[in-house]
Amino acid sequence: MEDAIYFDNAATSWPKPASVIEAMKHYIEDIGGSPGRSGHRMSISASRLVEETREAVGRIFNFSDTSRVIFTRNITEALNICIFSLVEPGDHVITSATEHNSVMRPLRFLEKRGVLLTIVKCNSDGTLVPDEIEKKIKKNTKLVVLAHASNVMGTLLPVDEVAFITNDRNIPFLVDCAQTAGAVPIDIQLEKYTNCILAFTGHKSLYGPTGTGGMCIGSGINLLPLIYGGTGSKSDRDTQPDFLPDQLESGTINIVGLAGLKAGVDYILKTGIHKIRAHEKKLVDIFIRKAIQINGIRIYGTKDPERQAGLVSFNIDGASPSDVGFILDRKYSIMCRIGLHCNPNAHMTNKTFPFGTIRFGFSYFNTVDQVERAISALKKISEKNTIN
Amino acid sequence: MDGVITFFSSQQVMKAEKILKKNGFEVMLIPGPREISPNCGTALCFEYEKKKEIRSTLENNKANFEAIHYYPQAKKFSKWVE
Repeated sequence: MEDAIYFDNAATSWPKPASVIEAMKHYIEDIGGSPGRSGHRMSISASRLVEETREAVGRIFNFSDTSRVIFTRNITEALNICIFSLVEPGDHVITSATEHNSVMRPLRFLEKRGVLLTIVKCNSDGTLVPDEIEKKIKKNTKLVVLAHASNVMGTLLPVDEVAFITNDRNIPFLVDCAQTAGAVPIDIQLEKYTNCILAFTGHKSLYGPTGTGGMCIGSGINLLPLIYGGTGSKSDRDTQPDFLPDQLESGTINIVGLAGLKAGVDYILKTGIHKIRAHEKKLVDIFIRKAIQINGIRIYGTKDPERQAGLVSFNIDGASPSDVGFILDRKYSIMCRIGLHCNPNAHMTNKTFPFGTIRFGFSYFNTVDQVERAISALKKISEKNTIN
Repeated sequence: MDGVITFFSSQQVMKAEKILKKNGFEVMLIPGPREISPNCGTALCFEYEKKKEIRSTLENNKANFEAIHYYPQAKKFSKWVE
């Protein structure tokens, strides 16, 4: 894989820091126990590891209440817990036209059950003016959900401003940080904005393994579980505990995954999120500046690294994204995501429905040289495409 | 050690243990005595005379717990591990 270029980090990041693999191995070989279930040393070590993972993830979001850092199987589960807990038939929800299906599908399901849904349109570059959200608030608005960054165009949404608006009106605000947690600092302070929830995935920019994700929940939010079961606490009762994190974490937690997640987050904290952000911005900047000069390449989004997460969507005029993806992989060993990125609304927003786009998702481990090699590959593909 | 702190969840125990140790208190993890709490399977025992300081340290650090008990039977645990 030495020469191969992995640009599919917006789907899942690769490679992971070596410490992630070590930590997972260490758990399996040396820790082993089930957290929160027994009092022996292996179980205690596992419990400590889970708590340390909560602390580490909390630091990414500047949040110290570890009882409200909840782990789930992935961010989709966390988003579902929030949406199904906070909204009932007759309630109104506001979201944007750039949301992933992990948000849209539960909302569309609830819409059929009598929830009123407002999908606020974005500009074609994915940007959104916070006033547009504010204007749509009704008396029965019980939830606002927004991505921190679009998974299709990378465009950052004004979540800080929206948090201010929702806080003012005491409306729960759910932020989907799938594309940003660990890579783009978020300014929402949960200690102050107590009605916010920051949902994260573990396997993208936090550099953990798949099967990890969760959310940090402000103190003003009460949620209900999607899954009920054993927690290791209140074992004298056959009813679900009502305190966190146990209420939302039934069944044995993915401890080997969390061992890896902690190591991934520690890597970010040690490196510095601002350094990671600066590196990804540089890659986005170089890519956009050079790609824009290639005849026939159309870039979506703001084209401004400041207003983007570390990913870029584009197309080559006259070529289908799937053909370009195939050539990039087979001929140039460049792996990326092509087509529709689980987000039909965003593709309608940037008018790339139903064919989609080619998406390059960068990570801290990508290099300027890799971006330049990709540019030269795209030049060749584009030239050939024009000739044909 | 003749005092016991009980908790609702293992997350609370781990947080409290870390904070108390960091603040110089001697604490030991023990199986939660059923007769004082049916909740979390693990509890922390400590010298009961430090009750006040321990309570304020936990509260100042926003570490949740169920209750603090005088429980002289906990002395057996330190004896067993001597």
